[in-house]
Amino acid sequence: MTGKHLYSVLIVMLVCALAMTGCRSRKGGRVSGDNIGGEIGSDGSSLPTRMEGDLNILTSVKYDAVMFDYDSAQIRESERPKMEAVADYLKNNRDVGVIIEGNCDERGSSEYNLALGERRAIAARAYLVGLGIDGANVQTKSYGEEKPVNPGHDESAWSVNRRAEFVFFKR
Amino acid sequence: MKFYFSAALAVFISLPAFFPAAQAQRVVVSKSLGEVSFLDLSGLRTGGDAAASGFRMVLESDLTRSGWFNLTGGGRAEFTVLGSIEAEGGRISASCEAYRTMTRERCLSESYRGGAHEARALAHRMADDIVRALTGHPGMAASKIVMVGSRTGKKELYLCDADGAGLRQLTRDNAISLAPRWSPDGRQIVYTSYYRTQFPDIFLVTLASGERRCLANFPGLNSSASFAPGGRELSLILSKDGNPDLYVMDARGDRITRLTATKRAAEACPSWSPDGNEIVFVSDSPGTPQLFITGRDGGAPRRLAIGGAQNVDPDWGANGYIAYSSLIGGQFQVCVVNPATGETRQISRDDANYEDPAWAPDGRHIFCVRRQGYHSRIFIIDTLSSSCISLLAETEKGDWYSPDCSGKYKNAK
Repeated sequence: MTGKHLYSVLIVMLVCALAMTGCRSRKGGRVSGDNIGGEIGSDGSSLPTRMEGDLNILTSVKYDAVMFDYDSAQIRESERPKMEAVADYLKNNRDVGVIIEGNCDERGSSEYNLALGERRAIAARAYLVGLGIDGANVQTKSYGEEKPVNPGHDESAWSVNRRAEFVFFKR
Repeated sequence: MKFYFSAALAVFISLPAFFPAAQAQRVVVSKSLGEVSFLDLSGLRTGGDAAASGFRMVLESDLTRSGWFNLTGGGRAEFTVLGSIEAEGGRISASCEAYRTMTRERCLSESYRGGAHEARALAHRMADDIVRALTGHPGMAASKIVMVGSRTGKKELYLCDADGAGLRQLTRDNAISLAPRWSPDGRQIVYTSYYRTQFPDIFLVTLASGERRCLANFPGLNSSASFAPGGRELSLILSKDGNPDLYVMDARGDRITRLTATKRAAEACPSWSPDGNEIVFVSDSPGTPQLFITGRDGGAPRRLAIGGAQNVDPDWGANGYIAYSSLIGGQFQVCVVNPATGETRQISRDDANYEDPAWAPDGRHIFCVRRQGYHSRIFIIDTLSSSCISLLAETEKGDWYSPDCSGKYKNAK
């Protein structure tokens, strides 16, 4: 019993230590990636003009959706590697732009969820800009609660529906 | 305006325990507020054909639905209606006179003529005229309802009468159509749709011509447009400047003013005060979505201090009261708040979720979404009697959302 207890205390300490070093290394290395999206949620700049006409969507390029907490537009620590993967792809493919689609779970006002979904998309956009991506190539779109990936009505469905998806297009 | 004041007061005095001060005024205002009067229709002669008897059925249903009357075929009724309903050669012709039975005071004398296809509209008009003449309050029978329906598998706009009849599909865009609102004159509908660009944009439909115009397609989100009472401006949510914020736009789309600038929060669901000077809206700047009021020209928003874990979807009635949906004990319930005093009243009470309320033009009924078992339907709640009835017949398939009633400002002169 005592041994188990000690064990769990140790694990908690280890997690804390990892989390702290994680924060510190980011603050030193990628300041902008940490401050925007995560806390401010928007870099305060205007959104770019939409691309006119039919977009050449790159349906074969798929990156994992970024997940969000309930009623939150903050990019979680756990989701940052996903953002970095998207940023790396865009850096290596300068002729590609991205539409970030913000989504919500079904709970609450559908009109409020449209605004919350847009906040999520904008937070992800700001994060990409912080990682050095040109904001002119990053569009945002909110689907609110209108496009769930899981049509269920419990937390297991809701947690995967609170997301920002990345749709890439040839510029 | 006088009518609205008393109708609005009635909303509050019908729950005297919460509003002891208002209870004292009850005798002064009117003895019939929230009470049902007997109305004798036996003197309204009705032709035996389908058109005339159809007119009669619509009229009786409207008068009952108004909440003010119990219909009788005689006896000692407080009010009496005399007249006739006749149909001939594809035309319908009706007349009515309404009296206070005791004093024989004539309160209404009116006639109605039109093609047989107009019978429903004429009956609605007669019902509203009778309600107005005998109670001093506006009716809701002639109002049209716009709403979102999903029976085709996509969210499209639908229209019907305030009694649920005449349901018809307005849009066939195969996109997602959301948040429809009437123009004050009842001739146009503004809504949010992913039509054409596949981004959320704001469109305006003129019903008579079917003409559709895009009003706002800025980068990012364009949503939740709502006409000012004068019809010349709209409030809306745009994210073009980097975050979803509240804006006011000229109806021609050539002048746009930003009213909020919350970098860390989203704004949504604006609705105008009846005098057009203020806007109530949702902001999640406190951490959860809550109601705020700001001036039409901006200024520091004032939070409405009301209970509820979340407060969303406000609709500011012509009676001065704001209907909204409040998360109470894990369920959404429709509530009403007096923005001047902060007094609130919960209107819906059972274990379903009640969301997205919209005032009927009578300032007494609220149309809203009742969601139970993940099935959403439109219900009409009487704020005085608490009666709650389905708008559409049970046989109408699909889910229904976002009702809005035409003629909301029609009676506020």
